[in-house]
Amino acid sequence: MASTAPSGTPSSKEKKYDRQLRLWGANGQNRLEGAHIALFGATATGCEVLKNLILPGIGRFTVIDDKLVEEADLGVNFFLHQDNLGQPRAESAAALLGELNPDVAGGFRIDSLENVLSNTPGLLDPGTTEFTHLLLVSPVPTPLLFRLPADIPTFFVHSLGFTASLRIYTPTHTIIETHPDSLVDLRLFNPWPELSELASEKTRALDVPELEDGMSDHQHGHVPYVLLLLKYLEDWKQSHEGHPPGSHSEKTLFKSMVMDRMRTNVPGGSEENYVEAARAVMGDLRTAEVSIGTKEVLNDPKCQDITSRTDEFWVIARAVKDFADSNNGLLPLSGAMSDMKAESHGYIALQNIYREKAHSDATVVEGIVRGHMNRVQHPERNQIDRDAIRLFCRHANFLRRLKYCSIADEFSNSNDEHKKAVLAALGGWDAEGSLIHDYIALRAYQEFYTSHGRAPGDTTSGQGGYEDEYRGIKRIISQYLQDVGYTKSVPERCEKVAKEIIRAGGGELHVTASIAGGIVAQEVIKIITQQYVPINNTVIFDGIASRTQTFEL
Amino acid sequence: MQRPAESPAAPKLPHETLNREPSTAGPSPAVPLQSSSTHTEQLPDIAAMTISDSPRWKYLNRILSRKGPFADEDYDTEMQKTFLDDFKVFGAGGLGCEILKNLALSGFKDIHVIDMDTIDISNLNRQFLFRASDVGQPKATVAASFVMNRVKGVTITPYYGAIQDKGQDYYMQFKLVICGLDSVEARRWINATLVDMVDNNNPESLKPLIDGGTEGFKGQSRVILPTLTSCYECSLDMLAPRAAVPICTLATIPRQPAHCVEWASMLEWPRVFEDKKLDNDDPEHVQWVYEQALKRAQEFNISGVTYSLTQGVIKNIIPAIASTNSIIAGSCCNEALKIATGANPYLNNYMMYIGNEGIYTHTFEHEKKPDCPVCGNLATDYTVDPEWTLEEFIDRLGEKPEVQIKKPTLVTERRKLYYQGPPQLNEQTRPNLEKKMKDLVDHGEEIAITDPGLPFSLRLNVIFS
Repeated sequence: MASTAPSGTPSSKEKKYDRQLRLWGANGQNRLEGAHIALFGATATGCEVLKNLILPGIGRFTVIDDKLVEEADLGVNFFLHQDNLGQPRAESAAALLGELNPDVAGGFRIDSLENVLSNTPGLLDPGTTEFTHLLLVSPVPTPLLFRLPADIPTFFVHSLGFTASLRIYTPTHTIIETHPDSLVDLRLFNPWPELSELASEKTRALDVPELEDGMSDHQHGHVPYVLLLLKYLEDWKQSHEGHPPGSHSEKTLFKSMVMDRMRTNVPGGSEENYVEAARAVMGDLRTAEVSIGTKEVLNDPKCQDITSRTDEFWVIARAVKDFADSNNGLLPLSGAMSDMKAESHGYIALQNIYREKAHSDATVVEGIVRGHMNRVQHPERNQIDRDAIRLFCRHANFLRRLKYCSIADEFSNSNDEHKKAVLAALGGWDAEGSLIHDYIALRAYQEFYTSHGRAPGDTTSGQGGYEDEYRGIKRIISQYLQDVGYTKSVPERCEKVAKEIIRAGGGELHVTASIAGGIVAQEVIKIITQQYVPINNTVIFDGIASRTQTFEL
Repeated sequence: MQRPAESPAAPKLPHETLNREPSTAGPSPAVPLQSSSTHTEQLPDIAAMTISDSPRWKYLNRILSRKGPFADEDYDTEMQKTFLDDFKVFGAGGLGCEILKNLALSGFKDIHVIDMDTIDISNLNRQFLFRASDVGQPKATVAASFVMNRVKGVTITPYYGAIQDKGQDYYMQFKLVICGLDSVEARRWINATLVDMVDNNNPESLKPLIDGGTEGFKGQSRVILPTLTSCYECSLDMLAPRAAVPICTLATIPRQPAHCVEWASMLEWPRVFEDKKLDNDDPEHVQWVYEQALKRAQEFNISGVTYSLTQGVIKNIIPAIASTNSIIAGSCCNEALKIATGANPYLNNYMMYIGNEGIYTHTFEHEKKPDCPVCGNLATDYTVDPEWTLEEFIDRLGEKPEVQIKKPTLVTERRKLYYQGPPQLNEQTRPNLEKKMKDLVDHGEEIAITDPGLPFSLRLNVIFS
């Protein structure tokens, strides 16, 4: 990223990317700019995905395709022009896509996935490849799916008529910046000494009328609700053997106790800070708990054995785990606090208590990180990134770790996990309309293409061949259902979607290409920026009913 | 895993059959497939070809000429070649680039587009028909000529101006309207206009409206059949109004960086520059606001005021990315294609797409509001404290998210309650502002409200509490 001028005025690059930097920041943008995407198959859908990645500024792209531009391509692919007829599709598409953003380097290769895997395997060898992410657009014969490199994030896309799907494979994906709706963590049940002190200091004269040297109405109406709740929690505990209000009925009682203390002989008849306090009782009054996502990270074996080759992420995760273990299970504080009715100085004072605690927690974590790195003689032990540790601590309760099943495993006949997942989707209460049927039909298409060398429905005889093609597809579906252990007859939706896929005859609709191009690009961006949460591992889009469904297959 | 929402069948369009009537022009003679070696010498007249004649539309034609298992019983594969020939569509808004591309590549041949904006550098991260050298040019004309050059045979007629510049006679020429507008006001206007155009004696007067919008990784698309299904106005209360910060917070007790920016732009600017309006697009103005906001923030020990935040607050910037636009515009045009051809059932009637955490779509039928001020027939009951002054009544009305009025004019059958203008009427009615409601209207009496922000007149039945 270009640096910001001292006056604060944005650079031209920041101006161009303003609307996206507000989502993923300089961090995300830097990662995007480091990516090199290889597209196998310059189809309309493939080109739409690249369009949506070139515009926000990925580093490089390479279009790999061995076909020539045909008239029919011009009716579906925006990144081919009439003047390109008869020329290599890879070259033409790369040129028109390249015009979208002068900051992105583009290239092409007149080649196919099969050829690359057989003749120039170095191109996809994790040790030598230039590509950081692979984008495969069907048709791809199934045997090739078994030969994909295991360490490069791969996005496998179908787009046929009104139906599309995306399958993601990536090595274990960890996310710090998941962008939850809120990072606020008030710790009302677990206040630390400085917070408790502030609360008792600022609420000392709370219930004393102004005439008896207590708070004025103005002061009373501007005590931040966080401090009100802390004070009334103390009162509550004294009359409840030290226990905070835990059950729903206790909280309801506590809530009315708070509202009873509100001054009502004031303009408007109520005090906003008390109303905010009452509103927060059900949501904010709880013991700080570690989220499922963060538990998965902290319990990952990678946290156990830190070595000199452990990634920074896992070293910090381990340090956070150590921190929590010696801190009654409490994670480092996020430090985030929402806006609330208060005077400026009172609010800032409270905010500083939260920020200072977050800062001191992060400093402790940093010390633990340093200890682990020194112990294992980690090569990065002298360049510990303080900002990365702060960012991690700020998001400590919102971490995610996603483990993906490989595409080869999905297509292997002996994968019991896969069978279980498909059977569960077929047997669920909502099975009838489930898009698992669309998945099965797409899988049958894949199988048909592999054995026939063409898409089902891709015939010149038009309507006549429809039924024959359907019989072939239905046989494949029956076999697959039998393999996963499904004992009933082929479900109706499976049949219908299969017919719809034959109807398309392997052809794309541009509208579906546009939708799939957007869906896939969003997921690629989430994986590259390591922000937001991508799907694991399959999404199906049904353009007839306009809906999606995700599966882990 | 999410629960799939099988949406109920969409209601039938009254003119659905009309769409499918063969066009009066005879079919064009089939043109032999061009080989790559001759394509430069002998170009076919693509504009004159129907979808089914042209090798270019092989994939689209394959779908249209084969009946699918989800399509309507009466889907006619013989008639499909005429579906798109005479289907004039209208598009507008920030999703315009994507919409034009998608319509042109879905076989629509006669497309009209309106956009009042010129190209800004911050559009380039998603509005893919524009280049840095186009900055300052009108979006509508640049986009139209780009797509016409790329997709041969399509005619796109641009108009550089506001959608409100055109009247009902203009919109009557289209069969379908697609809007990816970013302003609530413009959407309410087009929605109210299309509802108002519906004439029950003329099925052609019902123009389906497809509306799309995005924010970050989220978006929505919906199909509105004016008067038949829920309209834009019916769902206005789904929009959470931006919580306004009380002026006294801005003026005396700022706590957030945004409070400092709003103080600088809303209070300090008018105080210092009495006669000059703040121009959000003028970098010098933004710089001034930023510097004032920063100073104020330092005074109150508030951290976080940046130039980017300043811009975001005063321009109310909504994050926008290419991929979400691609999804939503694709969805809108998918529905247009299905409506125009009947190739598959269309959306009934709302889809939300949420991509922040995994992918989640919510597809459902948004219900028509019986008392919708645009497509409903009745005046809405509105509870009023008889002791309120007219001014209080207006203030409370302004707080309602489903109304969103700014400068209303109010009348009843028997008297003018309050007029914003002209000056003599304003003067004449101004004293009413301090009068109590009970002295101005009767229980059950109807008040008609017009407002520059309202594309229709709002009718309320006063119910005294």
